[in-house]
Amino acid sequence: MDLFLQAIVNGVLIGGILICLTVGFQLTFGVLHVIDFAVGGWVMLGGYAAYWLVALAGIDPFISIFFVFALFALIGRAIGPLIYHVRTSRYARPDLMALAFTFGLFLLMRGGALWLWSYNSRNVESVFSGEFLTVGSVTIPLLRLSAFLMAILISLGVFLLLYRTRFGMAVRAVAQNRDHAGLMGVDVKRVSAYVYGLYTGITASAGVLIATIYSVNPSVGVRYTLFAFFVAVLAGLGSVGGVLIAGLALGLLESLASTYVGSRYSLLIVFGVLFLVLLVAPKGVLGRGI
Amino acid sequence: MASNPGEVRGYLFRLAAIAVCLLALAVVPAFVDPYSLRIVTGALMWAGLACAWNIVGGYAGYISFGHSAFFGIGAYTTAILMQSGIGMPFLATLLPSVVVAMIVAAIIGGPTMRLRGAYFAIATWAFAEMLIQLATILDVTGGTAGLSLPAYLNEFFFYYTMLAAAAASFLGVWYLIEYTRFGFRLKALRDHEPAAEAMGIRTNLVKVQAFALSAAITALFGSVFAYWTTYIDPHSVLGPDITDQMVVMVLLGGLGTIWGPALGAVVLWMTNRYIWSTFGDTVVYLPILGLIIAMVVLFLPNGLISLIVGRRRGRELISRILRKL
Repeated sequence: MDLFLQAIVNGVLIGGILICLTVGFQLTFGVLHVIDFAVGGWVMLGGYAAYWLVALAGIDPFISIFFVFALFALIGRAIGPLIYHVRTSRYARPDLMALAFTFGLFLLMRGGALWLWSYNSRNVESVFSGEFLTVGSVTIPLLRLSAFLMAILISLGVFLLLYRTRFGMAVRAVAQNRDHAGLMGVDVKRVSAYVYGLYTGITASAGVLIATIYSVNPSVGVRYTLFAFFVAVLAGLGSVGGVLIAGLALGLLESLASTYVGSRYSLLIVFGVLFLVLLVAPKGVLGRGI
Repeated sequence: MASNPGEVRGYLFRLAAIAVCLLALAVVPAFVDPYSLRIVTGALMWAGLACAWNIVGGYAGYISFGHSAFFGIGAYTTAILMQSGIGMPFLATLLPSVVVAMIVAAIIGGPTMRLRGAYFAIATWAFAEMLIQLATILDVTGGTAGLSLPAYLNEFFFYYTMLAAAAASFLGVWYLIEYTRFGFRLKALRDHEPAAEAMGIRTNLVKVQAFALSAAITALFGSVFAYWTTYIDPHSVLGPDITDQMVVMVLLGGLGTIWGPALGAVVLWMTNRYIWSTFGDTVVYLPILGLIIAMVVLFLPNGLISLIVGRRRGRELISRILRKL
């Protein structure tokens, strides 16, 4: 029973971070209609940014996360128009070309990180590292708890932005119908670029949290791209609200699988379930739309 | 199909060009040193793999990110069947490996090819990642330690085997795509799937056939590769790098063209070997691959082949020169 409770708590704590990881991804799909393969790449680069900020300037990741957000939001804002250009181009299959484009970006990031920083894993130290909180029979690492809270705060911020601001209204309008939103005076291209910037900022911030909890190396990207896909597929591509449940579901699945089946099988189980979900409910389990 | 004299002439011209190319490739081993021969053998393998990926990616219009799975299935089938306990000769393992890959492709392809493009890409990728995890856990695949095969150090054998496999793949695919009903159906469903379905084409069947064909060719090269390198492990034959290269080669050469993938494969493979011999490793190759994809998508969406045959003036010039010969 204690083991079960511990697994549940771990699962929820990881689930919060997976929510933060996928919210931006869903937003991008909803607005730009692009599956971004590079999602894991942004996670990895965010982790490295946090590492270098600790190593060179001694800034705690829970503070540097804001710098990382700003930095990657700017980068994303610069790349956004390119993706919009590819997606709305007159190529034979713009959707596949956009997919290939982000795939190229991902390869560029992964390869660039390997080239610059080698295969070695790097740990990101925070003031919370190594502290524990004991509630009854359950031990909670303070680091995971604070990362969870941070992730939830960021996700909440996204929801507030989406549903309580004029910009959010424009985003939702574009997601519902790009042409009509354009006719109503929404600058679709600008909104798309800003959404991509928002997405890269959030995802890199999630990367900071992930790197602080585990560690970061150039190949973590693949894993988190698949995790983001998993959550997105379970929620239904483009559904931002569904991410809340789907993220927790994946966190619990991974935690329970590694507790009861063994951690070497946990990835196999996660991929297997993702594959089955895709076959059984290709439109997502939880409906769609922003 | 070849009803008027012009078409007959074009048909004969193509056959002659292919015969000349094959003849030139067949005499290559007589002129190059063993090191270069290995490089050319590799180029043939990648050309064949790119051709296989192009069937699904270029003609069916479904981007697969899981083709390394079939490469690995081929390599592992051959490796397992050649282990000392079973000890089958190499050529006898080719048929089982192709059949296993086709069966797996049919099982996987049946449900996943009903998914729309993006979901299909994710599903195939998840499948490939699942297989790599499986190969590191199972005993029959040797886990992370991998499997060794009986060494056969005859570069000429591997050159001609790769050449035969690549030639068979290209000519077979060219014939199937350009001259059979299967090819017309495939192109119809790529251009407009609902319309193709309305015309009475069983799109799901055609898609699965294309997927199985593509998987079979990929597995064939996986088998030859395993015997060639004599040692395989999960990352060398199931790793995502294999799929990455296939995708980039086809995109670079020209999606959905017959000879584009071969062109892309040769250009990219030569770049890879050049970087390898200059820098001593291929780490810098990955970011270059990524950059190439992004640039191709932005500036050259029809691939390198469009530079050669896409320009009407260039084509007219070439045909004028040919007519004078």
